[in-house]
Amino acid sequence: MSTPVISASPLLGQPLLTDEDLARSHDRSRVHHARRHRRRWHLMWLLVGPGILAMLGENDGPSMIAYASDGAQYGLGFFVPFIPILFAMAYVCQEMCMRVGAVTHRGYGELVLQRYGRVWGWFGAGDLTLTNLVTLVAEFVAIRVGLAYFHLGSGVAVALGLALVVFTLSGGRYWRWERIVLGLALFNGLFLVAAILVKPHVGAVVDAFAFTPFPGGSFNTLLLLLASTIGATVTPWMIFFQQSASADKGMTPRDVTHGRYDTAVGAVLAAVFGIGALVAGAALLSHDGSGIQGFAGAGFPEALKHVAGGAAGTVFALGLIEAGAVAILTISASTAYAAGECVGVSHSFNSSPRGAAVFYAANIGVALLAATVILIPGAPLLSIALNANVLATVLLPVSLVLMVMLANDKGLMGQWVNKRSTNVIGIAVIAFVGICGAAYGIDSFLQATHVIGA
Amino acid sequence: MSLQTLPADPDASSAIPERDLQAQERHEDELIMHLERDQFVAETSRPVPRAPLSARARAGLWALRIFVVIVSLMVIYTFVEQLH
Repeated sequence: MSTPVISASPLLGQPLLTDEDLARSHDRSRVHHARRHRRRWHLMWLLVGPGILAMLGENDGPSMIAYASDGAQYGLGFFVPFIPILFAMAYVCQEMCMRVGAVTHRGYGELVLQRYGRVWGWFGAGDLTLTNLVTLVAEFVAIRVGLAYFHLGSGVAVALGLALVVFTLSGGRYWRWERIVLGLALFNGLFLVAAILVKPHVGAVVDAFAFTPFPGGSFNTLLLLLASTIGATVTPWMIFFQQSASADKGMTPRDVTHGRYDTAVGAVLAAVFGIGALVAGAALLSHDGSGIQGFAGAGFPEALKHVAGGAAGTVFALGLIEAGAVAILTISASTAYAAGECVGVSHSFNSSPRGAAVFYAANIGVALLAATVILIPGAPLLSIALNANVLATVLLPVSLVLMVMLANDKGLMGQWVNKRSTNVIGIAVIAFVGICGAAYGIDSFLQATHVIGA
Repeated sequence: MSLQTLPADPDASSAIPERDLQAQERHEDELIMHLERDQFVAETSRPVPRAPLSARARAGLWALRIFVVIVSLMVIYTFVEQLH
């Protein structure tokens, strides 16, 4: 750990202070104060954020619709135990991101670019931009689906999403941005409320934890389910986001334990809320749930209203609006971090818009671009939304491999490199994600080109 | 002596902002004590050195990249096909 700087005189060769430094040091002074006075809960409150946001941000519109759709088509059986397993995998990946960010104080994009060369850095940023753009379109669609339940249209969805992005950016402070988004993210719990409102048979939910075999259906359907459910849990944007946000928050190696709590709490909450969406969707199983086209109109909320009452439909619709809105904020932020890091300019919420023009422009620009797509008449929104998670799964292995390489880089991480057990689990996760994504991609391609039958 | 009779000493009038400035500098010094040296923007702006990668590692990364690009193209092709 480096020695704290007392004077910041450029004449003495000390770093020149920027507004970003001052804002971050202000946040850090509160952490030091809480630590010195042994205020454990206050310290926890100050240090949580990136982990919960990454995990609940990934419980986004398409993911919650995917869980509800799984429940409506296949019931609880396979997915109730599968979702926690996926979030355990996500924890392993995200813990590495947090640790690398806290130890190096640098984002994923800039470390890959500087450590492994521009080709890999730009490839990573390219992957991220593509998947983020597709996913952001799906988030606006999710907001639209939620709003459609209240008879509001695409224009309102676009206005709401963009207004939130601009509002959260307006403070010029990471702390402010993080706390607003955290406050919104907690409403992801609406899916748990929806699950309670559909009055599930508790015994059936508990029994589902006894791992049941794969759901029926064709091999391709099974691969699609696996790929889209994995894509609903671990994605490239989460890797970029949590590492960069941990660095932007000013986390240090002393905060790694709290960072692990933050990530673990996020994973548990996301798994519980995800299962909530699944249970809510499963209420439609005996009501032709497989026939519901979630994105075609009001979809799930409307169907839930008929089966479980108006309250369940309303809560589910509000949950979709929240899930889409939070994901728009976090995914736009990850794009902005990646853009600033790869271009090599200021990339912090603690910088002013004038001082970090690329960061702010990318943040708003990518959301604006996605919003424009959903306003195009006849745009294939249903297909885009359904393929967003699959594309993320297919592109994920490269990001994960570079993440594991960074976390094992002794030159960067020193004593904080991965343990052998973390590497074994990390490599297993990469292999699992890679095989599922590739198997679906290849099988679907062969079917589309009529090489094999459907 | 009333306040109005006080001489308009330019040094005295500038003493208050000077004190404010010193207080602000002290405050900033105290604040930056809470940052680690390598957290400063000036430090994080310096690039880290390139990592030495073995030929096998480079080949492995390229193989993975090519594989992922091919599978991505397959997924995108399938997506476009589904639209028709």
